[in-house]
Amino acid sequence: MKPEPTGSELLQRLLHGEPDRDDLDVLAARAAEDPGFARVVADELAFSGLLSEAIRGGASDEGRAFETNLLSAALPVEDLLGRVRDGSATTYECDQVVKHLWESPEALMQLRRDLAMEEFFHEALSESKSEVAFIQSLETRMWAETRRDHFVDDFTKRLERELAPAADEVEEGKIVPFTGNWGRTAVQMGAVAAALALGSFFAVQMMVDRISSKPALAAVVKTSSGVIWSGDTAPGRDGTIKSGLYHLSSGVVSMRMASGSELTVEGPAVFEVGDDASTFVHEGIALARVSATDLGISLKSKGLSISEPARLIGIDARSEGTTEAIVFNGDGGICLTEGGKCRELSEFEAVKADHVRERLVDVPYNPKAFSNAWALLSGVENNLGSVRIEMPGTEISSEQGKEGEVQIYVENESFLPDRDLEVDQVVVGEFSVAEANPGQQLQAKGELRSYLLQLWPTEAGEGGEVETSLTFDHPVVGVIYSSDRLVSSDSSVGSSISHAVDAVNDNRGMDSGNDEILLSQDRRTLNLRFKGGGTQAEQVRVLVALN
Amino acid sequence: MNPGDRELFIQQVREHHAGLRGFVRSLGVDPLWVDDVAQEAFIVAYNRLEEFDHSRDFGAWLRGIARNLVINERRKDARRKRIISDNLTEVLIASSSATDEEEDEMGDLALVRLNALKECVKGLPEKSLKLLKSRYEDDNSAQDIAEEFSMNPPAVRKALERMRTALRECMEEKMQMAAAV
Repeated sequence: MKPEPTGSELLQRLLHGEPDRDDLDVLAARAAEDPGFARVVADELAFSGLLSEAIRGGASDEGRAFETNLLSAALPVEDLLGRVRDGSATTYECDQVVKHLWESPEALMQLRRDLAMEEFFHEALSESKSEVAFIQSLETRMWAETRRDHFVDDFTKRLERELAPAADEVEEGKIVPFTGNWGRTAVQMGAVAAALALGSFFAVQMMVDRISSKPALAAVVKTSSGVIWSGDTAPGRDGTIKSGLYHLSSGVVSMRMASGSELTVEGPAVFEVGDDASTFVHEGIALARVSATDLGISLKSKGLSISEPARLIGIDARSEGTTEAIVFNGDGGICLTEGGKCRELSEFEAVKADHVRERLVDVPYNPKAFSNAWALLSGVENNLGSVRIEMPGTEISSEQGKEGEVQIYVENESFLPDRDLEVDQVVVGEFSVAEANPGQQLQAKGELRSYLLQLWPTEAGEGGEVETSLTFDHPVVGVIYSSDRLVSSDSSVGSSISHAVDAVNDNRGMDSGNDEILLSQDRRTLNLRFKGGGTQAEQVRVLVALN
Repeated sequence: MNPGDRELFIQQVREHHAGLRGFVRSLGVDPLWVDDVAQEAFIVAYNRLEEFDHSRDFGAWLRGIARNLVINERRKDARRKRIISDNLTEVLIASSSATDEEEDEMGDLALVRLNALKECVKGLPEKSLKLLKSRYEDDNSAQDIAEEFSMNPPAVRKALERMRTALRECMEEKMQMAAAV
């Protein structure tokens, strides 16, 4: 039979970090029975804390730690417990509390209740700790781990049903009365999309010659529906933005900065525009896009700054203690505001700034939180049919689509073609049959963006019709719908995500002679009538001119 | 996983997130990482949902998962730990139970208690609410709050303590009233 360990042996195991659950239970019981033994344990633990702090820190740190610990040692236990409750206690202070808990086991349960109660106060008083915030964050993580799990869809439906604010809570007076038509519903009626193209996106020109004392530093160029500004500052009626602190209560707003960069913010958010057109995101979600020809953007958030702006970079400043930065396109540099630590990030990498510990922590690439901002920034809006705008980095898969759905991938954010491109012929202003054609040359000049559309048949093998209408915020200069041209343009126009579907679908295009295509007179809206005829998705590549 | 299981899971997240977060915090997890650990527990539970015995209490099962996650924190490299102190977590874990019912803020009635607390918060005078929000929403220290409200730090601590006690009493009262109905 195994002999019962002595108190000294148990203590040694604890100090060497080797106790198992049974050891701890026995140790706790003996300490509860014997206050003298409890004091010895507590003293040893406190000394271990001092020792480990002295070893971890340098010579000067050792002195500082010792001084801090001396000060802490003089604090009454209530203060130490207070520091544990608010999470600010040092290791030494925690060990002092442990010493107290050994001597007073009844205080242990009280501390646990107090800690839980502190958490309750946070949950009851802080929006970032609300049920909605927790569930959305959980949903995001679930998405990151399972990609297309039903959990997300189920949750989204429930949240929409149960947690969405009632319509009558919207404060009408605070809605900035833009003159454009922002709503999506008006453009979902299925009429010929050309007539609707101007209504879906509203461009506001920069107005730099304002009469008022402050110059315009940016202009609102796009918004989602339901935009509500609160606080004292809001964009002007013409969309101009001057220096100041802006509170966006709800909705998504996209602004063009004086530098030419675009900043998209999703409410609830608080952001500040400085006199030098620099931006500081205090709270909320922000996406910044810097085009190849822009001067860049000066962007900061809580605890971090963007030292080298990537082409497309996101900031998630919804949490109190951390701020996340994520690079969607290009390479970027992120620095801690305090301490100067920096990290270089490549495409599809993310980092979190921990404000308390003043450190940068690598986190998995998870773009879900930016989906609403991305829907506005992607530059394409759906007028008709079931459309999903995929987040950057989403791989094209032959098993992803739902029946009758159109997936939109922004394949290549921006590129300068090094040679003329062969595109398919499209009749402007009227529907025409998409079929084999001699093609036409698109001259290699100016910056382009490419989108890949993937259309899924409604009923496998039955050839159910899918119709969609999409409006782009830049003119469409080329459409590629034939299979051969899709393949041949993959390397020059597409990106790594464009190639995944090749192996599974030889007839990628919609050039069977059954489908129809219409490009509006203003070249902004594309209508597609897809009659399927198979079980596989068909693809169309759309090229827009950025300047 | 069938749709019924998923539906059950969603329902359980709504019911248990508040108590689970309280439980996680009560084990000495750093306040900044409480949600992270609680979410991880839900994800583990979701991935193992088929192992869940429906005759058992889901809340207790979740707490068991969370407890194991916190135990594992002690083995992590210091920079990656989500707890404030190994020794403190050690004693807090020893006093927790993976299988038994947890009481009060950490157990299955947590959501009801949280909702009662929210009701109590609504009844606070404006200045008190501002003080509490400064502490719990903006995460300001007593020193910062003192500067913001032109008070001295001990007075802030005392005021916060008084409000916490009053809110706790109000919450308990509401719980008792609800139980009596």
